[in-house]
Amino acid sequence: MQASTRKASSAILLSLMLTSTALTACSSSNNETGSPSPSASPSSSASAPASESASPSDSPNAGGSVYPIKTDVMLTRWLDSGAFSQQLAVTPKLEDFPFNKELEARTGIKVKYELPAVNQAKEQLNIMFASGEYTDIIEWNFVTGYPGGPEKAMQDGNILKLNDLIDKYAPNLKAYLAKHPEVDKQIKTDSGAYYGFPFIRGDDYLMTYGGPIIRKDWLDDLGLEVPTTMDEWYTMLKAFKEKKGATAPLTFISTPRLFDDLQQGLFYGAFGIKRDFYMDDGKVKFGPAEPGFKDFLTTMRKWYAEGLIDKDIATVDGKIRDANMTSGKSGATYALAGGGIGKWLTAMKDVDPKYDLVGAPYPVLNEGEVPKFGQKDFAAPQGGNFAISPKSKNPELAVQLLDYGYSEEGSFFFNFGKEGEAHTLVNGYPTYTDPVKENLPLNLGLYTRATGGPFVQDKRYYEQFAALPQQQEAVKTWGQTDVDKHQLPPISPTAEESTEFAKIMNEVNTLVDETTIKIILGTDSMDAYDKFLTKLESLNIDRAIEIYQAALDRYNAR
Amino acid sequence: MLSKLEKRAERTHWGLFLRKDWSRNKLLYAMMLPALAYYLVFQYGPMYGAVIAFKDYSPAEGILGSPWAGLSHFKDFFEGFYFERVFTNTVLISVYTLLFEFPAPIVLALLINEVRSRAFRGFVQSVTYMPYFVSLIVICGIVKDFTNSGGIIQQIVASLGGADTALLQNPDYFRPVYVASEIWQRIGWESIIYIAALSSIDTEQYEAARIDGAGRWRQMRSVTLPGLLPTIMIMFILRMGNLLNVGFEKIILLYNSSIYETADVISSYVYRKGLIEFDWSFSAAVGLFNSVINLALLVLANYLSRRVNQNSLW
Repeated sequence: MQASTRKASSAILLSLMLTSTALTACSSSNNETGSPSPSASPSSSASAPASESASPSDSPNAGGSVYPIKTDVMLTRWLDSGAFSQQLAVTPKLEDFPFNKELEARTGIKVKYELPAVNQAKEQLNIMFASGEYTDIIEWNFVTGYPGGPEKAMQDGNILKLNDLIDKYAPNLKAYLAKHPEVDKQIKTDSGAYYGFPFIRGDDYLMTYGGPIIRKDWLDDLGLEVPTTMDEWYTMLKAFKEKKGATAPLTFISTPRLFDDLQQGLFYGAFGIKRDFYMDDGKVKFGPAEPGFKDFLTTMRKWYAEGLIDKDIATVDGKIRDANMTSGKSGATYALAGGGIGKWLTAMKDVDPKYDLVGAPYPVLNEGEVPKFGQKDFAAPQGGNFAISPKSKNPELAVQLLDYGYSEEGSFFFNFGKEGEAHTLVNGYPTYTDPVKENLPLNLGLYTRATGGPFVQDKRYYEQFAALPQQQEAVKTWGQTDVDKHQLPPISPTAEESTEFAKIMNEVNTLVDETTIKIILGTDSMDAYDKFLTKLESLNIDRAIEIYQAALDRYNAR
Repeated sequence: MLSKLEKRAERTHWGLFLRKDWSRNKLLYAMMLPALAYYLVFQYGPMYGAVIAFKDYSPAEGILGSPWAGLSHFKDFFEGFYFERVFTNTVLISVYTLLFEFPAPIVLALLINEVRSRAFRGFVQSVTYMPYFVSLIVICGIVKDFTNSGGIIQQIVASLGGADTALLQNPDYFRPVYVASEIWQRIGWESIIYIAALSSIDTEQYEAARIDGAGRWRQMRSVTLPGLLPTIMIMFILRMGNLLNVGFEKIILLYNSSIYETADVISSYVYRKGLIEFDWSFSAAVGLFNSVINLALLVLANYLSRRVNQNSLW
């Protein structure tokens, strides 16, 4: 009895696969001949996407797989529940999230979610790989979270190489990648293998969300302009200290890494460097090994000695920074538009109506220069993080499920949820409904998957998420940098190289962090810098640069 | 010639003894089996996993399948740029803790023993236990708050004319802060065993001492302390076996790069390395090294203790 149903359903599946293959063939050839417009991303340029109610077949991209797919197969899906902890506290099962229910209705594919215990994702992933009991879809950052990277993960037999499957069953993703070669590069390996479906930030506007933040009301009181150069920053911090009584005029987070908040190049950038690796004209460089590092240390040492930097700078964490910025202890910091500007403005609205913040440009050394670095995410920030297990009995179905988010209709649904429930169209603009807006961070997780899913993120999501004028303005200010020319793309050293690289960098990072903080705090004299350079040399930093250079060259050749 | 015969006689004697004992105590042996199995499966079995210290372990290939690496992980560790520093720091922090934190609960137990009022005793005990039951991350948060500039300790220092700087940003202060917080956290909990040992001292001894004219101080020195000594020695030996295991959780929660010089210990160093490299084999090699040193120290302490006062674990 059971056997016969299985046979029947597999027959249905087979015929389905055949039709979808046939359809895919049509649609993909369509897409390839279709006029390519690389600059316009479909999500942002799409003027009012086909309304929700439009049947899937009307949608131009849905040609590959006709959703909903008729199948009885239940796919399993493993993911780190960390991102959903807030939602899971309200709705304990992912299957019951309104978004996931609707997704199942639309794609026709039932999904069972498996969640590792909180904060044990990595251990449990290892257990899954060791035990051989894989889920069909595995959600994980294989670029940074798997030793040796995605190439090694495929070699080890833990995830599937997807090139053929994407060719056959993922017309939507394929079409998107054809139009966006830079995303394509970011989600394949040096050898050209696809290993997973990406989360894609569909607009430059979505990639910048952090930068320097200053107390606007203080600036106004003191009659100061928003500073653009290091000298102007110095004048401003001095004024904050002397006239505003700030005991820690400049504060920023130093956990888990020293100067964590400056990793994107704030202050370092004025001296043409970054704390980490970057590139000048295609040549890889390591910031602390460049002469600019000494100037950075000298300036910061001076600022610290004059009491302009938080006395506890080596131990400041998020909580302390929040307290500093809202208590008048500090007037300038680095933070995100959401977790900084939004959070503090909301918190201070009733306490101090005058309290105001402004996003400042990354400071430069000389007036008129363009900042060299700034926070900017990649279009596919986690690479292809929706992978499929080699043990999956229905890999093609899993591919079809994941591909949905790159169709026009699917991407719209991921961003804005179901019409009437999560959003309404106001003059063609998908506006989140009032009940959803009541608690955006919570409800966006329940009714949409507007961030982090396998889809193309829409600018209009962020316009509503960071809706305060100060936030909008800040994101624009922060975006004006040359970071694209200097930031390293997501390169991947080979497995052997990364072992060697990690060995060198572990010692180097300890050395750099220690030297940085001791010179700035004044524990060591400036002379320590010369000793530092000699030590850095002896730790073989040149080899590390060489490894990254080779990886970069391979990346460019992709 | 004679000795050979003797040995053979002994062997047959043993064989006979075992056979007899077996037939007599079959059931007892059977009852011992589960306990034996527990040790084999859960204590000795996993030891075989330590073999990854000599391999380039990868979970996909399994313990047996991973290629051999010889002593390269040990070499990496000993030749590491920071090996000397982390090793010295580990030993120093352990020794300071042993020196200052180990006697603290003994003193507390002796003091509590002298208190007459039951209510006050109970109160002191509850208050001193308390920090032990607070999560470590909270303890470290409190310590950081207290020692930051503007924190309670710094306010006291400043009011006495000292400089108001963050203690945990100065390498000179890390060890005192660490040891002091260790005492604060464990003194109450660890005193329990001493208090229990104290209650088992025969009251007649005190009576006799009093009749001989001993004051309280003399009683403590001549009756209480000798009565407590076996417990102290056992605790000391056990402690020696953990000398190199400085808890990395507490260190990584308290330290930062400005005080690596005194705060970075073997385990925190391995943690940083492991976090970046996912190098299980390297961690296993360091763990094995730690265990060997600890075992040596344990044996040494046991030997010394036996020589000095015939009191030992085995």
